[in-house]
Amino acid sequence: MKPLVVRGLGKRYRLEQSDDLWALRDASFEVGEGQVLGILGRNGAGKTTLLKLLAGITEPSEGEVELTGRVAPLLEAGAGFHPELTGRENVFLGGAILGRRRREVASRLDEIVAFAGLEAFLDVPLKRYSSGMYVRLAFAVATHLESEILLLDEVLAVADAAFRRQCVERMRALVSEGRAILFASHDAGLVESVCSTALLLDGGRVVGRGHAAELQARLQGPALVSPRVATR
Amino acid sequence: MTTVAQHRLIRAGRGSRLPDLVEAWQARELLAQLVRRDLIARYRPTLLGAAWAILQPAAATVVFSLFLGGLVGVPSDGFPYPAFVLLGLLPWGVFGGGLSRAAASLVANAPLVGKASFPRVLLPASAVASSLVDFAFSLPVLALVLLACGVELTSGLLLALVPLLLAGLLAFGMGLLLVALTVRYRDVLHALPALLQLAMFATPVVYPASLVPASHRWLLLLNPMVAVVEGFRCAVLGRAIEAGPLLAAAVTAMAFLVLGLAAFRAAERRAADTL
Repeated sequence: MKPLVVRGLGKRYRLEQSDDLWALRDASFEVGEGQVLGILGRNGAGKTTLLKLLAGITEPSEGEVELTGRVAPLLEAGAGFHPELTGRENVFLGGAILGRRRREVASRLDEIVAFAGLEAFLDVPLKRYSSGMYVRLAFAVATHLESEILLLDEVLAVADAAFRRQCVERMRALVSEGRAILFASHDAGLVESVCSTALLLDGGRVVGRGHAAELQARLQGPALVSPRVATR
Repeated sequence: MTTVAQHRLIRAGRGSRLPDLVEAWQARELLAQLVRRDLIARYRPTLLGAAWAILQPAAATVVFSLFLGGLVGVPSDGFPYPAFVLLGLLPWGVFGGGLSRAAASLVANAPLVGKASFPRVLLPASAVASSLVDFAFSLPVLALVLLACGVELTSGLLLALVPLLLAGLLAFGMGLLLVALTVRYRDVLHALPALLQLAMFATPVVYPASLVPASHRWLLLLNPMVAVVEGFRCAVLGRAIEAGPLLAAAVTAMAFLVLGLAAFRAAERRAADTL
């Protein structure tokens, strides 16, 4: 059983002001153990909707998802963090939001903090952190707790080059341990550095699969499919 | 990895009518973390910190004692008015505070609801739990006031936990109903403070139930918080507790809980998309 199997997945948003909107339609793919799949697409292509469906944050309008293993979604850097809490307190809060036991988080705390390079700021409230520090902590928490499926959405946008390289290495290490990773970004270069294969989303549809480098040209070209207003 | 692989199927149009309570129970450590977060966020940025949990009922006790107890001369069942009114304000605070925070819990945590996956019923649950912790913080003031008023404490004091937990349960059940409404109608959050104030005066918190004319006494039976407030007061003051009204309040609370869970589940399915 592959960790992640997606069949005919779609999400329709009902808008009061206009026609329904299919943010995602008829997506099918699989991610096996030790595989990374990149999700490429412009803003509004359906990347975040796809990851929200896989994480169980929103319910699909069609199709199904089969997940085997624990899922660690990182859809927004530190979505569950609280500015008044210290870095340490937020690590435990973030771990609990990912459904992890305090014991497990405590045993990984040193690794998490070392990866984020925030040893000196561990007991400083998060409101004093820069956005880069925020991302480092969030990425470190999501990638240092036991999980079989990792969902990463556009989280490295505010990270500096050095930390990006560190994250790419971390993702490669996780993949070699057999994790399945889904990595969404509008940056084909970044996707290419992690993934051998990627999906290209446009207007809520999967319009291409293949090597990230090959998809990049299409990503930069004109819009690929017609507007995604619902027909039913 | 030693753990058994979890298998999960997410399918369109599938879903239960009630929140997954097993899943919520498994995430109980998150509940504790959320309560901790709420308390830190509420008190750490303040100079006085958790003392605010004490100062609010203390200030209300002073105000009501001066104006109602002193000026108007509202009777207080033979006990000093300050002790009498504080013993009403505290259980009411658990209910009112828990209810209003539970009602606001989805809107206040909108980023979390939209970007993370966890049993969302823990948000209103932690809101109510944190108002119970607030109550615990105010115990020193309660002890002080009882001492100053010369109230003798008996072992019946422990019975006060029953109405107190009932206040929390009522706040949770009704809070679930209201928070479900807030997904579509934020109006609830604007109307709630005024409604709660009205409800407080409709409940014998700052005056004794005996002040209500016999012809209107039946109205009190409709309000489960009457049994909670009276029960709490009687338990602490060492008077006999009437079990009947408390039992009726418990049944009411359970009914609200079931309705609330169903309403919350229906709203939760849309919450990530519409909040």
